[in-house]
Amino acid sequence: MNRVLLLVVGLVFVACSACAQSDPSSSDPPNVPILSGALGFLGSSRGGANAFEPILNPVLVAPFGDHWLVESRAELLGFIARSNGTTGPYSGQFFASLDYLQLDYIANPHLTITAGRFLTPFNIYNERFPVWIAIFQDVPIIYPIGTRTSGSSNGGMVRGVAVAREKWIWTYVAYFSAASTTENLQAGRAAGGRTGVFLPQAGVEVGASYQRFLQSGDYNATGAYLAWQPRQIPLDVRAEYAHSPAGQGYWLEGAYRLASSRNESGWLSRLQAAGRVQQFFAGTPAPGTFLPTVDVNQYDFGLNYYLPHEVRLNGSYGRQFSSAGNANIWNFGITYRFLFPAWPGGH
Amino acid sequence: MKTFLLVFCGIIFLVCSLKALARAQSPAGSSTTAQAVPSKPTDAQKGERRFEENCARCHHAPESISPREVKAVVRHMRVRANLTAEDERLILKYLAP
Repeated sequence: MNRVLLLVVGLVFVACSACAQSDPSSSDPPNVPILSGALGFLGSSRGGANAFEPILNPVLVAPFGDHWLVESRAELLGFIARSNGTTGPYSGQFFASLDYLQLDYIANPHLTITAGRFLTPFNIYNERFPVWIAIFQDVPIIYPIGTRTSGSSNGGMVRGVAVAREKWIWTYVAYFSAASTTENLQAGRAAGGRTGVFLPQAGVEVGASYQRFLQSGDYNATGAYLAWQPRQIPLDVRAEYAHSPAGQGYWLEGAYRLASSRNESGWLSRLQAAGRVQQFFAGTPAPGTFLPTVDVNQYDFGLNYYLPHEVRLNGSYGRQFSSAGNANIWNFGITYRFLFPAWPGGH
Repeated sequence: MKTFLLVFCGIIFLVCSLKALARAQSPAGSSTTAQAVPSKPTDAQKGERRFEENCARCHHAPESISPREVKAVVRHMRVRANLTAEDERLILKYLAP
């Protein structure tokens, strides 16, 4: 971890030095690094087992020049739970991990080359919905498919917009990851990609993912996703499907802010009601997949409230049905999104 | 005198006819040529629309963002959300006009 910290500090220093050399006479906004992310406190009760998680996700972003970007996100997480699940005294553990630390080179309007540690781009959930953005606090049941082992990959990636037209945009991602068992930097040996089509006027995006996991007995994971945000009303609809030898399933969620338009900002329009349905069909059990070994159905209902100053309250109730036993799942949390410059100077 | 009156009435009729024809050909409700031509959206307005189409798919707009922060934010999202180069340019114009 010390080497990682040294690497982060070195990259940030280089990036910030480059930022300081940007042309002050330019009318473009300056290249100032930012520190963003979220601070939160999450609670959950799953079948009577309570857990509390204080969490900090710092995100550091440093652009330099017209083509380069260094970006990084870490997770500092405390996990406080009863020693025997539903009984015994509470005890805490601390976890730290590096979600990504990547160097991006925007070669041209169609190609960005990334090297380092990055979020595995399988479907859309892993890349786009950290806990302070996701509608529901807990990840979908099928989340481990395609993101094994840690949700992050160590290697190289190419991505970009293949074709951009006024009415549709075709995007792609392709990557390779080397295996790593280094503490806090775990990654699986894998290769894969994702492609999608976005229709801006309709607010619809559809796409598909593929991954070849190249260790523990090579196997394929495939996925597909759909997102729909009509411009006229504050409705979000998202769905993913994923398949692997250890099982397959889908989730479908809808969320509606109680407003007549996306720009309304009254007290009631800050309230968001959401529902999610999930089904998982178990396949051949395999160690380390983090997937259920029996079929599971789960239904969630949640309420989120977006307070001023980037504070969000969230709560949800879910009911899980499986042959291993049914369970009530409660989640609640508060998160605060922050954003400020990480370097003095600029305009 | 009769000839003069006839010529005068003819000219008035001709002018009124031409005015009526011009009014019929112009868009309804417009009184001047300048108002008849719709104004083109500015880059900032286009950027707002690109923001709504792309960024608002995952999150709402930040309550405040300073011009010093905006370039890092937008470039971060260009990579993360596969924005086009034109999206990046216009959203920058919207967030830091």
